[in-house]
Amino acid sequence: MNEKLHPFHIMILIYMNQTGVVIMSLPHLLAENFGYNGWLGVILISLVVNLNIFIISIVYRLGKGKSIFQIMESSLPRVITFPIYMILIGVWSMTGCMVIKNYVYIYQIMSYNTTHAMLLKLLIDIIAYLLIIKGIYTISKAATSFFWITSWMLLLQLFFIKDFEWARLTPFLFKGDTHFLTGGFIVFTAFLGYELCFMLFPYADNPKKFIKSVYKGNLITTLTYLIFCLICFGFYSFEQIRNMMYPLLDLLSYIRLPFIERIENLLFGFFLFTTIVSVVLYSWSAQETFARIVPKANKKVLAFIILTFGYIVAWFPDTLSEVGQWLQYLGYAELGVAFGLPLLLILILVIHKGAKPS
Amino acid sequence: MTNTEKNIPKEDGPAKKKVAPSLALTLKEFKDCADLIYRSLPDLALEMVFFDHLTGSEEFTREIAIPFGSAEEQDVPQLLERSQFTEITDSDALIKKILNGSVALFFHEKCYAIHVYKPESRTIQESESEVVITGPHDSFVETATLNLSLIRRRVKSSRLKVIKCEVGEITKTDVYILYIDGLANMEYVQEFIKRVELIELDAIHDANMLVQCIDDDPNSIFPQFPTTERTDAAVSKLVAGRIVAIVDGSPSVISAPASFFEFFSSPDDYYQRWALGTATRLLRFAAFIVTITFTALYVSVTTFHYEMVPEDLLLTLTESRSRVPFPPIYEALLLEVTIELLREAGARLPTKIGQTIGIVGGIVIGQAAVQAGLTSNILIIAVASSAIASFVIPSYMMSASIRLARFGLIILAGLLGNFGLMLGLALMVIHLSGLTSLKSSYLTPIAPIHLKDWRDTFIRAPFWMLKERPSQSKTSNKVKNKMRQ
Repeated sequence: MNEKLHPFHIMILIYMNQTGVVIMSLPHLLAENFGYNGWLGVILISLVVNLNIFIISIVYRLGKGKSIFQIMESSLPRVITFPIYMILIGVWSMTGCMVIKNYVYIYQIMSYNTTHAMLLKLLIDIIAYLLIIKGIYTISKAATSFFWITSWMLLLQLFFIKDFEWARLTPFLFKGDTHFLTGGFIVFTAFLGYELCFMLFPYADNPKKFIKSVYKGNLITTLTYLIFCLICFGFYSFEQIRNMMYPLLDLLSYIRLPFIERIENLLFGFFLFTTIVSVVLYSWSAQETFARIVPKANKKVLAFIILTFGYIVAWFPDTLSEVGQWLQYLGYAELGVAFGLPLLLILILVIHKGAKPS
Repeated sequence: MTNTEKNIPKEDGPAKKKVAPSLALTLKEFKDCADLIYRSLPDLALEMVFFDHLTGSEEFTREIAIPFGSAEEQDVPQLLERSQFTEITDSDALIKKILNGSVALFFHEKCYAIHVYKPESRTIQESESEVVITGPHDSFVETATLNLSLIRRRVKSSRLKVIKCEVGEITKTDVYILYIDGLANMEYVQEFIKRVELIELDAIHDANMLVQCIDDDPNSIFPQFPTTERTDAAVSKLVAGRIVAIVDGSPSVISAPASFFEFFSSPDDYYQRWALGTATRLLRFAAFIVTITFTALYVSVTTFHYEMVPEDLLLTLTESRSRVPFPPIYEALLLEVTIELLREAGARLPTKIGQTIGIVGGIVIGQAAVQAGLTSNILIIAVASSAIASFVIPSYMMSASIRLARFGLIILAGLLGNFGLMLGLALMVIHLSGLTSLKSSYLTPIAPIHLKDWRDTFIRAPFWMLKERPSQSKTSNKVKNKMRQ
């Protein structure tokens, strides 16, 4: 029997999958697209995310906890499911690989400028592979351990309390050069990761608490983003944030301890853990989808194929901005999956009046 | 096949035809065994075969010498009807009984055995590997029966059950599996017995050898079952709903299932005030972080990230490193290996000479290495701190595993700096996440999360707060404490 996921672990999985290195540039994105006090934009986006989770919860309720694959395969012919699966595999595997490349490129701003980015990416890929092949239960255990290893970093914000000035927040709300729609889409991609909860349907230990734990996961992400962004908006002036690519990274470099300073390098290292969880969850989802196409194949081989495919694709973008572009487009595609797939599933379930008994 | 192997009858395999025991057959089986004792009492038509070093002289006198010494031949059948005498009808079974310390008695065509096993044993002493400041000082010895008595003395309950197994194709070592009925999860007990029975090694010499044969992941560097020489520790495991296994010939006992964090607790924690116990536990976890990362961080900083060193300290560090001609990774590995050599040499040598090793290592090599410009003195501080921190971990097995893992982290930090260090830590966490102990998660109570267990894992809360047995034991009787503040 498969081991089930406790609601707490689902919450952590969602949070760890959502957060990542994007947090480094989030204050900049918010300032650029939402204007003065753009940090409040996090709440607006979080509400949209909650709406999306609500749509997913309808699928979960109507489908009575059945996996999305079972729902689709029970109603749609293989001719239709096959291309859907291929799109999902493509989006998820490429998102995973680009997340790593983005992390590596940002790291190379600080160190290892002469090391080949693809070598560093390969090392992370190997680590990710070792986790993917262990299955979702071990992935959740590792994610929980990584959560405890990284959660203390929130306390670092205490260093900036004395330099924080409420006056820098200004009395203006969402004023200045704003791009709500396009900017909203960009900022929304920072919240992506929660949508993979529909891959966890069959593994939920407690059906009643499953959706609640997804909401809670998103809530922790929202609070984390809010705190980090608020500190940035109160520490830097608005113009500074607009001009800085990674305000949070620069913020961390101000921390000085008696024996150590400029620890942003080390702290950014801790983001490797959240990056690994994101990559692993996306790649695991791609592997599970792939397994529906070739059910008899060994899952370890499938995971290897997916990561190899991602590795080859990751050779194409050469610069950080190119990777950013790729991630943006993949984010849009993922946005389509996050809203489109649950709506399709609801349609199927409504037509069939609920899930067919398995 | 060795000569010994031929002589020892095998019980396993397809059912063999029973052969009636006889004196001739028995003596033939033990041919060339100079230590076998054969005694004949012609007046009683009684013959005896036994190993006198396995039998207790007092027991022999009481059960055999006195009753049979004053008896006539016609009294013998009546004496042999006593409950302590067992009639044996299978030759193989008789051989096994003799090897296990029984005396075989041949009377006319019949054969009997009486268990008078009492081997020579080391006296109960304090454990050298698990020293305590407060608390009981007695520890297990190499005799399983004596170890059983030490446990029985502490657990006066008929619910303490003991299952006997045999491992080792040649050594036929007795393994006693103990659990408290109603507290232990029977699925764990069955799984443990199954694993012990599946061992097909020719010999098991110690409990630490046996655990490696029943590990969930034998390839892991981390121990999955703790072993202890402390009687109070073993009893506390039993009471917590875990299983304890005693291996004959070993002063260590095994407990199962276990989590990674269990290796960081010591029985001392419960004998001190809760605040002290908590502080000590937290210190051990801090020591774990220091031992795993300190040297690696030094290598990483001095190789790739000099910007992380504050200006005041930078001068001292640069001055200290200026005379060293090697990259930090070589320097660190050189010193780490030296420390390991000293530790190993100190462990193998008698205590008095061991002290000399400490002086030679600590003063001569340490001081000389710095003066010769082979290492920097800051690295010596880092390596020594890591080494001391590793010895704070109560379990020797876990401490050794962590020290080994540290080498991997140093190499990764030397090659890839902080990135390598984080990569190594991630690898370690992933490995630990995948480990299980008797199929239960190794990282419990962190993953899966059991917040109540944290009170007796990361801290040692006051006893009134420790109300439940650990969730890992999956016991049906959870409440262990009904006290209120």
